[in-house]
Amino acid sequence: MLHDYFGVLVFLIVGAVVGAALLVLGFILAPRHADPVKGAAYECGFEAFEDARIPFDVRYYLVAILFIIFDLEIAFFFPWAVALRELGPAAYAAMAVFFAVLVVGFAYEWRRGGLEWE
Amino acid sequence: MTFGGITLSPEDLRAVVRTVGAVVLTTVGVILSVAYLTYAERKVIGYMQARLGPNRVGRWGLLQPFADVFKLLSKEPVIPDAASRAVFVGAPLLVLTPALAAWAVIPFAPHTAIAPINAGLLYLLALTSLGVYGVILAGWASNSRYALLGAMRSAAQIVSYEIAMGFALVGVLMAAGTLDLGHLVARQAPNILHWYVIPLLPLFFVYFISAVAETNRAPFDVVEGESEIVAGFHVEYSGVMFAMFFLAEYANMILVSTLAATLFLGGWASPFAGLPWGLLAAPGFFWLALKVMILLFCFLWFRATFPRFRYDQIMRLGWKVFVPLTIVWISLEGVALWYRVGPWFAR
Amino acid sequence: MTAAHLLVEGVFGFFATVLVISALGVVVARNPVHAALFLILSFFNAAVLWVLLGAEFLGIVLVLVYVGAVMVLLLFVVMMLDIDLVVIRRGFVRHAPLAAVVALLLAFEIGYVFWARHLGLVSLAPPLRPGTLPNTRALGLRLYRDDLYPFEIAGFLLLVGVVAAIVLTLTHREGVRRQDPSAQVRVEPARRIRLVDPFPKGTPGKGGEGG
Repeated sequence: MLHDYFGVLVFLIVGAVVGAALLVLGFILAPRHADPVKGAAYECGFEAFEDARIPFDVRYYLVAILFIIFDLEIAFFFPWAVALRELGPAAYAAMAVFFAVLVVGFAYEWRRGGLEWE
Repeated sequence: MTFGGITLSPEDLRAVVRTVGAVVLTTVGVILSVAYLTYAERKVIGYMQARLGPNRVGRWGLLQPFADVFKLLSKEPVIPDAASRAVFVGAPLLVLTPALAAWAVIPFAPHTAIAPINAGLLYLLALTSLGVYGVILAGWASNSRYALLGAMRSAAQIVSYEIAMGFALVGVLMAAGTLDLGHLVARQAPNILHWYVIPLLPLFFVYFISAVAETNRAPFDVVEGESEIVAGFHVEYSGVMFAMFFLAEYANMILVSTLAATLFLGGWASPFAGLPWGLLAAPGFFWLALKVMILLFCFLWFRATFPRFRYDQIMRLGWKVFVPLTIVWISLEGVALWYRVGPWFAR
Repeated sequence: MTAAHLLVEGVFGFFATVLVISALGVVVARNPVHAALFLILSFFNAAVLWVLLGAEFLGIVLVLVYVGAVMVLLLFVVMMLDIDLVVIRRGFVRHAPLAAVVALLLAFEIGYVFWARHLGLVSLAPPLRPGTLPNTRALGLRLYRDDLYPFEIAGFLLLVGVVAAIVLTLTHREGVRRQDPSAQVRVEPARRIRLVDPFPKGTPGKGGEGG
């Protein structure tokens, strides 16, 4: 099994090397003239008057939390789907129940307006 | 061969050289494809809008992509004063590396994948989920309002569509019963009726549209919405660092198209497989490339035709249309599997 | 020793070292975002180690769930909370004794596990020989044949998670105009436009006189 992963390792390394090489090349080839105006954040001509890192709408957090939960549910599906053909009706029923619980959660989210974006 | 007690058999050495060679070849191939995808994009959209597109550099403008590359490389990469330097420079690297490394598990032809791992599909899902970091970190490190706004929008959008995409993949997986992409294609190979697009048509649409959203392409490109938040998460990027985001975006477009072709359209299998048509019915890289090109054309076509969605519409489409659709289809598929319907759900 | 073994050992050593360094980075980094980034790096390295140990499925799921999802949320939180470093450091001395106790306890627990194993008191289940069965399938067979009950409990826990997330974060704002696409589709022209005849019968001007 491990020798299949050798290609993955090489590809990760090559990917990183290509990226790093591009960066180095870009920084070597290109002219660099520091300038306070050039270094300022883009603000449509305004002076930036405060730190740009502002607190965000809580809705973004809700999306992220829901994403984690659904991602986990998907992760549960993978081994089930792969072993499905060797499993009996019990596994089917179990997944049906699991899936139903998921749908209940989703329906609750929908009813409460957790999916609204304004 | 032996070096200080370590034996290196000629087979091992050959395998290593072969793998490294294949990786380098694939990387070069992907980068060249990106170059000509940008050219194709400008040409295709040009013709769709009754313009000529690039036609100055080289014959028919064929050398335009190289001119672009040299231009971007020779532009000054500006790092804003207020930025977090290390993260700012690292972000493009973090987008590009997964976009390239994902290609390791793609089966290009029968028994031809660089790393034919058992959990290939899972690996792809994991790597594509890393793409969101480059965006978030780029937005945060820039320390600019527009960049941060773009990054947050993008992150929430990518994450939402990843759910729909994940469920669509579960659908394919239930039909195939394997995470190994090579097997997955082989199961679709006998003839065109075995392609998973037939029983899973809605999932195919969900997957492909989610892929467009995941790669932040039009009409889901509010992330860069030029007319409202200038260029979103990469406003502050210039020169080679901008080029890397660009490269990663296009490499990801090709990747998701390849995946759609592999998962739903039979990958390297010929659409005429099973018919006595000799070479036309033979599987090969050619078929995969053809399918990918058709899907990529759709990407460009979408960009030329659809107006940009509004952000709340994007979120609504992802959560309230795609997720329920996939849930319904997976349930139906469960029933179909139980009754072993058609050639797809046989045991 | 063959080159392949050496490679595996070398890769393991490399990623283990990076894991330790990045774990240290999580604790030492002053900027909370940097700490979170180090945490992501350590998850990634841990995933590589798991794959090297033969736990293919778990390794990749670690990347998928922790790196791809949980850490995104954490980064959201850390980035936007605008944590004031001075305030945090003020509490350092005050909380140091408590932290020391926790650290000691942890060290003791880890030591105990090693010690007990060394004495042969705990017989850990021997790990499955990697490569005998595709990992994901083996896990699926085990989970959905023998451990159905815990699996269902996990499902309910996730439901609780959904409910809790919504109860905690959802606030309804007044005066927000939302798009209701189904209402938009259902709308009929008759309910939107009333055609009024500006020249009822008998009034002058009707009949194309150019009024």
